[in-house]
Amino acid sequence: MRRLFYLVREAWVNMRTNRMTTIVAILTTAFTLTCVGIFLLVYVNLQRAAGWLQEDVKIMVYLEDRLSRDGRLQLELMLKSDRMVGSVLYISKEQALTEFRAQFPADSHLLEGLGENPLPASFVVTLAPSFRSPESMKDWVEQVQTMEGVAKVDYNQRWISLLAELIGYIELAAIGVGILLSAAAVTIIGNTIRLALFARREEIEILRSIGATGTFIRIPYFLEGAVLGACGSALSLGILKMGFELFRQQVQFVSRFSGIDGLISFFPWSACLALVAAGMVLGLAGSVVSLLRVGEGRG
Amino acid sequence: MDAMIQLIHVSKWYDRRPALSDIMIEIEKGEFVLLMGPSGSGKSTILRMLIGEEQPDEGQLFVQGKNVTKLKRSEIPYLRRKVGSVFQDFRLLPKKSVFDNVALPLIVQGVSDKDIRRKVTETLRAVGVEHKRDQSPSSLSTGEQQRVCIARAIVNGPVILLADEPTGNLDPELTGEIIELFKLINARGTTVVMATHDHHVMHQVNCRVITLMQGVILPDRAVSERVVV
Repeated sequence: MRRLFYLVREAWVNMRTNRMTTIVAILTTAFTLTCVGIFLLVYVNLQRAAGWLQEDVKIMVYLEDRLSRDGRLQLELMLKSDRMVGSVLYISKEQALTEFRAQFPADSHLLEGLGENPLPASFVVTLAPSFRSPESMKDWVEQVQTMEGVAKVDYNQRWISLLAELIGYIELAAIGVGILLSAAAVTIIGNTIRLALFARREEIEILRSIGATGTFIRIPYFLEGAVLGACGSALSLGILKMGFELFRQQVQFVSRFSGIDGLISFFPWSACLALVAAGMVLGLAGSVVSLLRVGEGRG
Repeated sequence: MDAMIQLIHVSKWYDRRPALSDIMIEIEKGEFVLLMGPSGSGKSTILRMLIGEEQPDEGQLFVQGKNVTKLKRSEIPYLRRKVGSVFQDFRLLPKKSVFDNVALPLIVQGVSDKDIRRKVTETLRAVGVEHKRDQSPSSLSTGEQQRVCIARAIVNGPVILLADEPTGNLDPELTGEIIELFKLINARGTTVVMATHDHHVMHQVNCRVITLMQGVILPDRAVSERVVV
C-alpha cells in the first residue's frame, strides 16, 4: 500500500515541482490533439451524413413501354426475391403522370401536346441496408440494367460517389494529421519527462543504490506521462466542444444552412472516453521514449 | 571457511591506466575489513564492483557465493538489497523526512506498512536519531545525517555493509561515534567493508586491514597472513 502511495505521490510531486513545464506540456498536447479532433469531428459528421444519404437513395428502374403485365409482374417478383433489395414500389405510367403534374404544375402543359403519356412505368427500389455502399449499388444497377423489359436504371450515383470520395480524402487527411500530431504530442510529453528525469537524477541514483528495480524507478514517470496525456486530451475535448457549439450557433443564423445544426453532432460520451484513453496512451508512449533514451528503460 | 566476498584475479583499467591489478581478496562472513589507501588507490572501485555498479575487466567477483560479474542487469537491484551502502556525502533525499529516507529501501522491496513502521523505528533507535524522525535531513548535523545514512543502509538487514569514506566529512569526535556504530552493526553479524584513507580509523578498529596502492594490494606485516594475494 505504501509502495503504491509512494509511486503515485512521486508522480504528483514531479508534476508539482515542474509546474510550469507540466502546464505547458498539457496546453501544447491539448492544442495538437484539438487539431486532430477537428478532423475527426468533420469525418464523423460526414460519415453520418453519408449514411443518411445512402439510406435515402432510391433506384429508379424504368420499364419498357412494350413490357406486358405478366412480364412486369415477373420482373417485380424477381426484384422482390433479390436478397440485396429492401423494398420495391411500382409506379404505373398514369401514377407517374399524376406525380409529375403535382410536382411541376407550371410545366404540365408541356405534356398536353404529346397526346400519349410519354412517362414510363417504373419500380422505385431501395436496397437492403447492408448493400447500400456505392460499390454494391453500382454492381446491382449494372446487373438489373441487362434484365428483359428494363429500359433504364437511374440513381444519383455521381453525388454518392463524390461524397464517398470526399470522405475518403478526409479519412486520409485525418490519419496523416493524426499520426503527425500524435508524434508531436509524444515528443512534447517525452521532453517533459526528460526534464523531470534530469531534475531528479540524484534521487534516481539513490534509488538504484538501495536496490530499486528499473520498473519501480520508471512507474512514477509512466504515471506522469499518462496523466499529462489524459489532461491534454480532456482539455482538447473541452476546446472542441466549445468550438463546436459556437459553430452550431453561427450556422443557425445563416438561412442557407438552416437545419444543418440539427444534423451535426459532437462525439458521443464513449468516443470522448476513448479519446482521453488515447491521450493517456500517447502520454505513456512519450514516457517510454524518454526513459529509453536516458537508459532507464533497460535493466 | 565461510566466504562472504571473494575477488579472484580482479583487474580494472580506466583509459588504459590500471585501477586494479590482479586483486585477490577473500572476506569471511561477519568480518570487519578496512580498505586503506590514498585517493585513486582503487578502494572505491572495489566497493562499486561489489554492488554491480562497475564490472571488472578481468577476473571474477563473488558475493555470498554468487558471481557478480555474471549477474544480469535485472538481477543487480536484488544484489543491492543484500548489500547496504554508506557514502561520504550521505546521499539523503532532502525533501523527505528522516523516517521516509530510512523507509525507502523497505518501500522499494514492498514491505508492509506495519513492518516498515516497526523496522524504521527500531533502526532509528539503534543509530540514535529516533527523536529526529520527522525532521528534514538538511536540519540535522553532519554526524546525524551520517547516522541516518547508516540507518537506511541497514534497515532491511543486509548481509554486507559497504562504507565509502563514511567519516570523510566528520570531525575526530564524530568519527569515533560513527566507527563505534559500525562496530556495533558488525557485532550483530553483518560483514562490514569500509574504505578509508584516514589512519585514525585504523587505530579505532581492531580489524583486518587491506592496504591498496595504485591498484595493487600491499603486503602488511601485521595483516599480510590474512590477506590472500
